[in-house]
Amino acid sequence: MRLELHRLNVKSLKFSDKTGFADGTLSVNKAELLSLIAEDPLLGKNLDVDIAMPGEKVRVMPVKDVIEPRWKIEGSGQVFPGMLSDVETVGEGKTLVLTGCAVLTAGKLVRFQEGIIDMSGPGADYTPYSKTCNVVLVLEPSDPNMDKHDYEKACRMAGLKAAAYLAKSCAEVKADTVDVYEQANIREGMNSFPELPKVGYLYMLQTQGLLHDTYLYGVDVKRILPTIISPLEVMDGAIVSGNCVSACDKNSTYSHQNNPVIADMLKRHGKDFNFVACIVTNENVTLADKRRSSSYATKLAAMLGLDGLVITEEGFGNPDADLIMNCWKAERLGIKTALLTDEYAGQDGASQSLADSCPEGNACVTAGNANEVIHLPAMEKVIGYAEEANVIAGGWNGSLADDGSITVELQAITGATSELGYTRLGAYTL
Amino acid sequence: MLTLITNNSDLFSNIKNAELIDGSSLDVLIRVRSLVHLGSKIITHPLCGNLRPNHQPFRSVLIDSLKGPAEMESLSIIEEAVHVYESCKLITPNELDEDTRADYAYIDSELLRESLEQYGLISHQNLDAAPLLSMKEE
Repeated sequence: MRLELHRLNVKSLKFSDKTGFADGTLSVNKAELLSLIAEDPLLGKNLDVDIAMPGEKVRVMPVKDVIEPRWKIEGSGQVFPGMLSDVETVGEGKTLVLTGCAVLTAGKLVRFQEGIIDMSGPGADYTPYSKTCNVVLVLEPSDPNMDKHDYEKACRMAGLKAAAYLAKSCAEVKADTVDVYEQANIREGMNSFPELPKVGYLYMLQTQGLLHDTYLYGVDVKRILPTIISPLEVMDGAIVSGNCVSACDKNSTYSHQNNPVIADMLKRHGKDFNFVACIVTNENVTLADKRRSSSYATKLAAMLGLDGLVITEEGFGNPDADLIMNCWKAERLGIKTALLTDEYAGQDGASQSLADSCPEGNACVTAGNANEVIHLPAMEKVIGYAEEANVIAGGWNGSLADDGSITVELQAITGATSELGYTRLGAYTL
Repeated sequence: MLTLITNNSDLFSNIKNAELIDGSSLDVLIRVRSLVHLGSKIITHPLCGNLRPNHQPFRSVLIDSLKGPAEMESLSIIEEAVHVYESCKLITPNELDEDTRADYAYIDSELLRESLEQYGLISHQNLDAAPLLSMKEE
């Protein structure tokens, strides 16, 4: 498979009478975008579109999802297959990317969810989305008595629609840069680089129920058996987030599209190891499902003859059990593992970091302690609802002070401890 | 026999084989631990939900009520869960205003819904649609 990402580098945003791209500026026809998302009868009349730029004294909250605008300009299928588009396989051809731009969906869903994105100040260091030029959709339901399932879906679809619309509107513009990704089929991959270890990626997806779901080609991932996917499909939006809670370590749709584990493994393929396959699996509620999925996913890895597996988790608590089962089952099949997770070690960092562990889990990378407390100074403008700080996951009654500042755990900041490693803070071995 | 141990009265009223705990989420886990000591097996993970204990006033755990020696996997899982909840400040259902209580109770029910359907303890129709309480005017 070969996929070209044709990138337009977005450096600024403005409202205009025509949506398009020129000289680093993405122009957005606000009325057209609003009428597009307002087509959904589940969304209300008071919808809004706003702009949040890096460095501005702007806070967006509560943020539900972040999506990178992409549109396929050549090749089969279309972005977000099974959700926005038909179900055809994606991952080949050419895809236009508005690099440096993101769509944020904001609005109340339930009282203790979603995240904060500060565009400047200390909070901005913790979220990668403080550095993107953000088109913010502020959403509300048409009927306050609407079922939460329906409203969650309406918010999810609005974000995907807006992202596809923005990129589609720029489809005729010549790319600033083109990145080419190629992945051999498994037979060729197996015969390549015989001197290098064969390594796979076990991609765990949050699937515990409403507000904790992820979709693969539109299929609710809690209903799948672990399966093999090309990393190039992920870049075209084959995986979409419906996971809203615990802002710090939910994998936004944007972080799936830009999964840094996949990007780095493709980069190191043929040099440090042979990146053979990506396996997606779920994180369900019952122990039977956990046992089934972990046994099946590691069986696939063994059938592929892998020597090693990089495993990323999504979420904490219950998924720690899935992570650990995946780890020891793979190790006992002779497959070395490296785990990527985050920690809930208490505000003082002294508590146990994960809810589960095993002796085989001896190579583990952390994205940080989600319980670390941070003070976020007041901003000049809040897009959304500041009062949600008192009920947001990571906040508490009193988190929002009278002066507009907010004291919360990092858990409340979108992407702060991303377990895909899509964060702004990290450590490198020199 | 499959039994749901819960402090979520909304869920309790929809399930045939359930034991209602009048107390905190930790009280539910401690009750489950006692039953595991007596031989019961855990069916659903006691830490389900991607929220910290201070955001989980409700806990519901599906177990297979059995008598006999304790099963080690269940014992290990419930001990870890109790440890996590003991290390955090908790909120109890009776501290919450009605709208917030109802939202928490709904999410707790939703997280168990698939499992309860899978094990035949509930049909989809049994759980009422949940209105968007967060959208109500303060």
